[in-house]
Amino acid sequence: MQKKGLTYGFFPGCAYQTAAGYRESVGAVNRHIGIELVELSDWNCCGATSVFSLNQDDALTLTGRLFAMAEAQGHEQILTVCNACYTTLRKAGQMLAESPTDLARVNEGLSQEGLRLSRLLPVRHYLEVLYEDIPAAAWSAARPAYISRVKVAAYYGCQLTRPWADLDHAERPSLLDRFFSRLGFQAVDHSARTVCCGASHALPYEKDCRPMIRRIVEEARRRGAHFISTLCPLCQFNLDSLQKPSDVLPIPVPYFSQLAGLALGISPQKLGFGKLLISAESVIAKVA
Amino acid sequence: MIDQRLAQEFLKSPKGVKLLHCIQCGTCSGSCPLAGCMDHAPRELFALLRDGDMQAVLTSNTPWYCVSCYQCMVRCPQQIPVTDIMYLLKQMAAERGLSPAGHKLPDLYRAFAREIEAHGRVSEALVMARYGIRHPLDMLGKASLGLKLLARRRLELIPRNIHSRASLTLHANRPECKKKA
Repeated sequence: MQKKGLTYGFFPGCAYQTAAGYRESVGAVNRHIGIELVELSDWNCCGATSVFSLNQDDALTLTGRLFAMAEAQGHEQILTVCNACYTTLRKAGQMLAESPTDLARVNEGLSQEGLRLSRLLPVRHYLEVLYEDIPAAAWSAARPAYISRVKVAAYYGCQLTRPWADLDHAERPSLLDRFFSRLGFQAVDHSARTVCCGASHALPYEKDCRPMIRRIVEEARRRGAHFISTLCPLCQFNLDSLQKPSDVLPIPVPYFSQLAGLALGISPQKLGFGKLLISAESVIAKVA
Repeated sequence: MIDQRLAQEFLKSPKGVKLLHCIQCGTCSGSCPLAGCMDHAPRELFALLRDGDMQAVLTSNTPWYCVSCYQCMVRCPQQIPVTDIMYLLKQMAAERGLSPAGHKLPDLYRAFAREIEAHGRVSEALVMARYGIRHPLDMLGKASLGLKLLARRRLELIPRNIHSRASLTLHANRPECKKKA
């Protein structure tokens, strides 16, 4: 295990706890490459799209508390593992930076907890950290030979690159593909990288969202992908749980951190592969 | 009845004013993954808004079908922040106790907001339980999925309380926001 002293303020978000192997794999990968995530203590839900849909003041209160806590706990940046947390925090940060009135109101509420927001820390996604802060060579040291035979369809979902278009292209991103290539996988070219998965609408309006899931899965299948890999708990859940039960060969949907763990030679058991709804065992056994 | 001056006010607000640049090209409607479910696809909704028909706009299901994928927003040739405008319209409707008859997203979002105010963090299972009181059939359809998640230890049935919740009192949970139109 290498120690490089890379430490980040970590906002896990609510879905991380029950996500299929995300927590297990992020933990295992971090131990291997020497990243330390320091969880914000007493963090609250960011409100995601739900609270922004009901009341803007509420949305800024929830996110403002997170920024203020990260600041009070001495962090320099806020790391997220969820696209919705990522965009919710960035969106609120932008609004608070542009509106002194909103900032003053948020601070008035926060004063009840002895908190004060004066600095809006940068928000980063875990993928960005793994790609930009970790040297490429760190990923190849213990790589099993079979990795080069595994074809992966990188799936970004919506809120990593949109509306921002700064981390990567809004509709044709390549960051995750580049990361998989660096890990030694074959990142297949495909047209569904940022096609919406239905997000929170998949529960109440499952029938309307199934065609969106089908669009992504069928495209990955046409391209011969063994896996569709995601970086957002909601995308993962929708793609994993809504592939048609009648599908003869559904495509497993591991997190990018689970695949990063495989490339580091960590066993699937330690990466939480057992928590996926569509088992990846037979696929790994076939190519390995 | 909604005061029609609301539309004029909205069109003078920092984001609303940008709708005056809309050329009705329909790129938003063509980019929207759920446009087929909406009573007025986004282009049409904006035409209604500029026409001053705020009653139709605030009771439309369109903003509630918006899934925040931001596809329309990055494609709009006039740089109109379409998704942000959908958020503002949902907020206006929610604050006035208006929501389109039968649409399920306001209930889901409120279940979420109540869970946050009660505990600080959200357990998906408990949000679903709150939502399921109003929509039991949706939950019934998810029973087998629930069992699979339980078997994989992926259901959290105990609330996730944080220590300090003093600043987490949400306007969205006050009674005037719970009324139905």
